[in-house]
Amino acid sequence: MTAKRSVVLLVLVLTIGMGARPGPLQAQAPRLDRAIKVGIIDTYSGPPAVFGNDALNGFKLALAEINKDGVLGARIEFVTRDERFSPEVGLSMARELVLQERVDLLVGTINSATALAISAYAKEQKVPFLVWISKSEKITGQSGHRYVFSTGENTAMAGRAIAEALARKPYTRYWIGAEDYEYGHSITNSFWRFMKRMKPEVTLAGQSWWRTGEPDLVPYVTAIANARPDAVFFGTGGAGMTNVLRVLKATGMSSRTPAVIHTAIDHAVLRPLGTAAPEGVLGTIDYLWYYPETPANQNFVKAFQAAYGGPPGFPAFHGYNTAHFIAEAIRKARSLDREKFVDALEGLKINTPVGEVEMRACDHQAVLPLFIGTTKKIPQYEFLVATDIATLRGEQVMPTCDDIRKARGS
Amino acid sequence: MVEFTALASQVLVGLSRAMILFIVSAGLSFVLGVLRVPNVFHGSLYMIGAFSAFSIATWLGGHPAGLWLALLGAPVVAVAVGLVVERALLSHLYQREHLMLILFTFGVMLVLNDLVKLVWGPDYRSLVAPPSLQGAASVLGISVPRYNLFLLFVGPLVAAGMWFVTAKTRIGRIARAAAVDRDMVGILGINVSRVFSAAFMIGCYLAGLGGALVAPTTSITLGMDHTIIIEAFLIVTVGGLGNIWGALVGSILFGVTQSVGLLVWPQFAIVFPYLATVIVLLLRPTGLLRSVW
Repeated sequence: MTAKRSVVLLVLVLTIGMGARPGPLQAQAPRLDRAIKVGIIDTYSGPPAVFGNDALNGFKLALAEINKDGVLGARIEFVTRDERFSPEVGLSMARELVLQERVDLLVGTINSATALAISAYAKEQKVPFLVWISKSEKITGQSGHRYVFSTGENTAMAGRAIAEALARKPYTRYWIGAEDYEYGHSITNSFWRFMKRMKPEVTLAGQSWWRTGEPDLVPYVTAIANARPDAVFFGTGGAGMTNVLRVLKATGMSSRTPAVIHTAIDHAVLRPLGTAAPEGVLGTIDYLWYYPETPANQNFVKAFQAAYGGPPGFPAFHGYNTAHFIAEAIRKARSLDREKFVDALEGLKINTPVGEVEMRACDHQAVLPLFIGTTKKIPQYEFLVATDIATLRGEQVMPTCDDIRKARGS
Repeated sequence: MVEFTALASQVLVGLSRAMILFIVSAGLSFVLGVLRVPNVFHGSLYMIGAFSAFSIATWLGGHPAGLWLALLGAPVVAVAVGLVVERALLSHLYQREHLMLILFTFGVMLVLNDLVKLVWGPDYRSLVAPPSLQGAASVLGISVPRYNLFLLFVGPLVAAGMWFVTAKTRIGRIARAAAVDRDMVGILGINVSRVFSAAFMIGCYLAGLGGALVAPTTSITLGMDHTIIIEAFLIVTVGGLGNIWGALVGSILFGVTQSVGLLVWPQFAIVFPYLATVIVLLLRPTGLLRSVW
C-alpha cells in the first residue's frame, strides 16, 4: 500500500512538472501530516479545452506561489481528469477521485451541466466542490448547498450587468440569437428577466436558436438583420462566440445593428479572430488582463506570461483565485477537516489581481466585479480589445441573499 | 409576409453554404461509389484541410496571397494523409464487409483527431480572408458577404471539374467501370488497386479543399470533423449513394431549407434540413437521383 502511495506521489510530482518548483523542505515542523490533495475535473479535449487548460494554468501558477512556503507546512497537490464535456463522465470521475484517490476537495468544470451533476454528488458525500468556469446561475442559486462554491461570475450577474447597461440605451425591440445548450439558455433567460424588470417596455422581435458547433451562422445573422431589431443579444460562448463575431463583421451587420454578448470582449475570443472581429460589440466579462492597470494585475499578468507564453484569460484568473481561496481557507481552518474548511471559506476575503474578493457566506458565490466594454481596434495590438470600460461592483449585480433563499425554497 | 429581398438573401447565403457541403459530400460520394467504402474519416481530412490552410496562411504572415496558397496547398496535405492511410491500411481491407470498413474508418477518424490535437493543439484557430473578400457586397440591393459570393463561384467550378474527371478522363471512366464490376476491370488487365487509390485521392482532395474553403468563415476547431461528416452522409444518402450530382442536389436541399427555414420559423430552424431529409427518404428511399449501389 505505501509503495503504491509513493508511486502515485511520484507520478503526481511529475505531472505537476514545472508548474510547482520543488521547494526546499520546510524549516519548521509541519503541522499537517500529509499533502493537501485537490481533484480537478474539467474538459481537456475538444474545443472547450482552451478554457480548461487556461484555468489549470492559473491554478498551477498560484500553487507555485503557495507551495513555496506551504499551507500549514504542507504542499497542495492535484490530479486532473478529462470529463470530455460530458456530465456522466464527469460524475463518475468525481466518484473515482473521492473514493479511490481520496482527494480532500473537488474543483471544476467548464460544463455547467457537469458542474450541477458533481455538485449534487458533493452534497451527498459532504465533499467541498469549487466551481471555477461554469456560469449557470443554478450552481449557487436554486441548486446551491453547503458544499458547493463558485469562484467565477455567473449568468445571473452577467445578465443583470448587461441589462443595466442596455436599460440606459434607447433600444426597445430586441432579437435573441443563442446556442442551444445549458449556458445559452441560462444566460439568455437571465438577461431577458432583468431586461423586462428594468425596462418593461422592451419587446422581443423574435429569437433564433442553433446547435452548438454550428459551423455557418451567416444565414442566421442575415435573417436577423432582415427583421431589423433595435439590438441583438447573443447567448453563446466559446467557438460559437468566435463564429458570431466573425459573421457580424463579414455581413456588415455590426455596423448597422448593435450587438451584445457576455464574454465578447474575452481575449481568448478576440485574439484568434484578429481583424476579422467586429468593432462596436458590447461585451461583459469579469477579468481583463489589461484592465484595471493596477500593480496587482500587472504582476499577475507578467508572471503568467513568463510561465505560459501568453496573457491570462478569465479562466486563468478564476483558477488562480481558486487556489488562493483553498490555501487561505485551510490556513484559517487550521485543519483538513471538510466541515471546518467549508466554515472557513464562508465569508473569506482574499486579495486577487483585481482587488479584494469575498466568498459570500449566504450563497457561496465569489463577489466579483464585472467589466462592460466595447470592442475596438487600437494601433498597438493586432487584435481587438475592450474600450470605454465601465466597472460594476459584485454587490450591484448579484442576487440578494433573500433572492437566493427564495430560489432555494428555504 | 416574407419580403422578397429577405428571401433572396437567405437563398443566396444558403446556396453558398451548399457549395461547401457539395464539395465535401461529392468526395465522400465518389469514394462510396467507386470503392464502396463509407469513409468516416472523410470529415477528419476536411478538418486537416482547414488546419493546414490556417498554417499555410499564417506561415505567409497574413499576406493577402495566403488564402490562395492555402487553397492550393491544404488539399495536398489532406491527400498526403489519405494516401498514407489508404496504402498502408485501407487497401488491404477493400474486400471486407461494410460494417468492418465503417469501424475501421471510424477508428482512423479518432486517430486523426488526436493527431490534429498533437500538431495544432486544442486552441481555436482563425484565418482572415484577403481584403478583396472581406465585408459585404450588394447584389441587386441584397447585402451578401463577399466570401459567400466567392463560394458561389467556386462550387460550380468544382462541379465542372468533377464532371470532366469522371466523364472525360481515362481514370474516371475506369473508376466508373470498376465501381460496376471490379473483377471484369481486373481481367481486362487494368491495375484496379491503382485506380482505387487514385479515386480515393480525389475524394481526399475534395475533403481538404472543402476544409480550406470553409476556414475563413468559421472557427477552426477540433470537433469540426463530426459536424461535417454527419451532414455529408445525410446529403449523400438523400442524393443517391455514389452519385456526385445527387450530392449537389442534396447539398442545395440541405443548405437552402436551413437558410429559408430561418425566415419562416427561426426558433426551430435547426430541424428544417433534417425534416427535408426525412421527407425525401420516405418518398424516395434510394435517394433523389440514381444510386450506383
